[in-house]
Amino acid sequence: MRKLIPSFPAILTAFCIIGCGASEQPAYTESAKQNSPPETLPNLPSELLRVWVEETAAGEYLLMVNDEPFRIRGAGVRGNLPLLAQMGANSIRTWGINDETQTLLDDAHDLGLKVTLGLWLRHERHGFDYRNPEQIQQQREIIKDAVLRFRDHPALLLWGLGNEMEAFQGYGDREDIWREVNELARMVKTLDPNHPVMPVVANINHHKVSAIQEFAPDVDILGINIYSGAGAVGDRLRQYGWNKPYVVTEFGAPGPWEVEKTIWGSPIEPSSRQMAAIYYATYTQIMEDEAMCLGCYTFLWGHKQETTPTWFGMFLPSGETTPRLDAMARAWSGKWPINRAPILREANIPVFKQTTLPGEVFNLSVSYEDPEGETLTYQWQLFHESTDRKTGGDKEPPPSELLDAIVARPKPGDSILTTPETPGAYRVFVTVRDGQGAGSTDNWPFSVQVNLP
Amino acid sequence: MLQLKPMKISMKLIKLPLFFILLYLPLSQLCAVDFGDSSSNTLMRKAWHAYGELEDEYALAFIHRSVEKYFEKALEQQNSLSSFPSYEDAHNFWALNDVGTSLYLKGIILERQGKTREAIEAYRQVVEQLSFSQCWDQRGWFWKPAEAANAKAKALAYDMFLE
Repeated sequence: MRKLIPSFPAILTAFCIIGCGASEQPAYTESAKQNSPPETLPNLPSELLRVWVEETAAGEYLLMVNDEPFRIRGAGVRGNLPLLAQMGANSIRTWGINDETQTLLDDAHDLGLKVTLGLWLRHERHGFDYRNPEQIQQQREIIKDAVLRFRDHPALLLWGLGNEMEAFQGYGDREDIWREVNELARMVKTLDPNHPVMPVVANINHHKVSAIQEFAPDVDILGINIYSGAGAVGDRLRQYGWNKPYVVTEFGAPGPWEVEKTIWGSPIEPSSRQMAAIYYATYTQIMEDEAMCLGCYTFLWGHKQETTPTWFGMFLPSGETTPRLDAMARAWSGKWPINRAPILREANIPVFKQTTLPGEVFNLSVSYEDPEGETLTYQWQLFHESTDRKTGGDKEPPPSELLDAIVARPKPGDSILTTPETPGAYRVFVTVRDGQGAGSTDNWPFSVQVNLP
Repeated sequence: MLQLKPMKISMKLIKLPLFFILLYLPLSQLCAVDFGDSSSNTLMRKAWHAYGELEDEYALAFIHRSVEKYFEKALEQQNSLSSFPSYEDAHNFWALNDVGTSLYLKGIILERQGKTREAIEAYRQVVEQLSFSQCWDQRGWFWKPAEAANAKAKALAYDMFLE
């Protein structure tokens, strides 16, 4: 079923590109333009998606998939695709190619999910140099191989070119980076005229948008990872003069870099209930821009450690679904999932945002309600505040847990915390589970000092 | 020996002055509100300050005065626009900016007070009627109250699904 043998014209084009030196531009053909239906190459699998961007007479953009408009309702994924499809999503996004890509694409196709396939572009903060011809050529070869390998997969929707490769470089407007992105976009479109190319950036500003327009005119769509203000990103793009369609490639609750912090600098994570409301509100706001926005991907269908183990994931680290997943299901399909996560009603955490002495004792109390009336279990945990924080979503080690610092009381939701003897920043977590695969978690930072003023 | 008789005071006698005292207290507080020169900018700044001091009633008093005096002008300025005014031109739309920001703040205060429906109403008023209002941030840019109000109204609406 999955014929991944490249067509003859594609092989020919690939040879042309292989012959190009780093400083030479790959062959670019008119057929790579995506504003009209691409001419289908011969010998392609009949299931192949023909995808292009169409501009209507009213100046609105549509993502066309086999002659039908398609609006992305998706998530950046780390597995569990069947549940994603069940919840009403129609697409997934990845960040790069790995050993599991083929299986992921196959699974997505079986479930009717279309894939924005990430082609990872290296970052200068990880040692890559966009002025180094050798490194650039090496990266081009990797991208070329990936495109040749997967371009005929029937689940493929878009090419996601890089992820925040411009970030942490001033305004993200470096000419050499954007010129190389353009070269790569041209190369990908030449190898595969059937799928638009979308570089993915970290938020936007006037300088960055201008640089993309000037130095990377061949990209079809702009992908934007944005948290605070995601709902109004279209207005900002227009203000900056962007005149192509866009996709919000990551959105969620405000990031740790965008929220209120304690006086010792610990970011305050929105509550599980607030998180759900923010996910829902942001999604509906983003999708209101029907003229330029081709859809969006929520972050993250899975879980990850980033400041806390719970800030971005739509699942608990132990695998349960969360209120924010319920919110996205409601947003995507208009319906609640059959089993919803417990909802936070009240939290009485006197130690929250406080600096205390070692060995102080606090009574903690929370109240959650399960929409299906299941009996809830409460797990209290105390962790050191994460200190090994990274930028740009780079991998972080999870903070260590302090065992026996919190003792649950007989009344569900109540516990007693004895503050640690060692001065430092801490975070108390409660995780509430319904025993049916859904759960909620909330956390509250506090600190311990030996000599309080 | 002198015996003191317990005085019998009619409750009616107490209730009446008590009613006037209770009525007078909030009124007197509001009468004591210093609206300054009552310019739209002054009212908005005073509202923000009161909000920061957790003096919600004062903040709402400034906001109500602002809406009462400048809403019509704000609407007129809004209707003269088809997009956000430029950075240079933004200050000319003073009523629009101040009233839009004040109503956004009203939403925040009502939300803080747990008055969800009223908060949504305030946010929606900004979104629907004063969408081109802008507010100067001391850090060096204009932010858009309608943008923030839209997000907050939608989040509150979702939260109401849960009830």
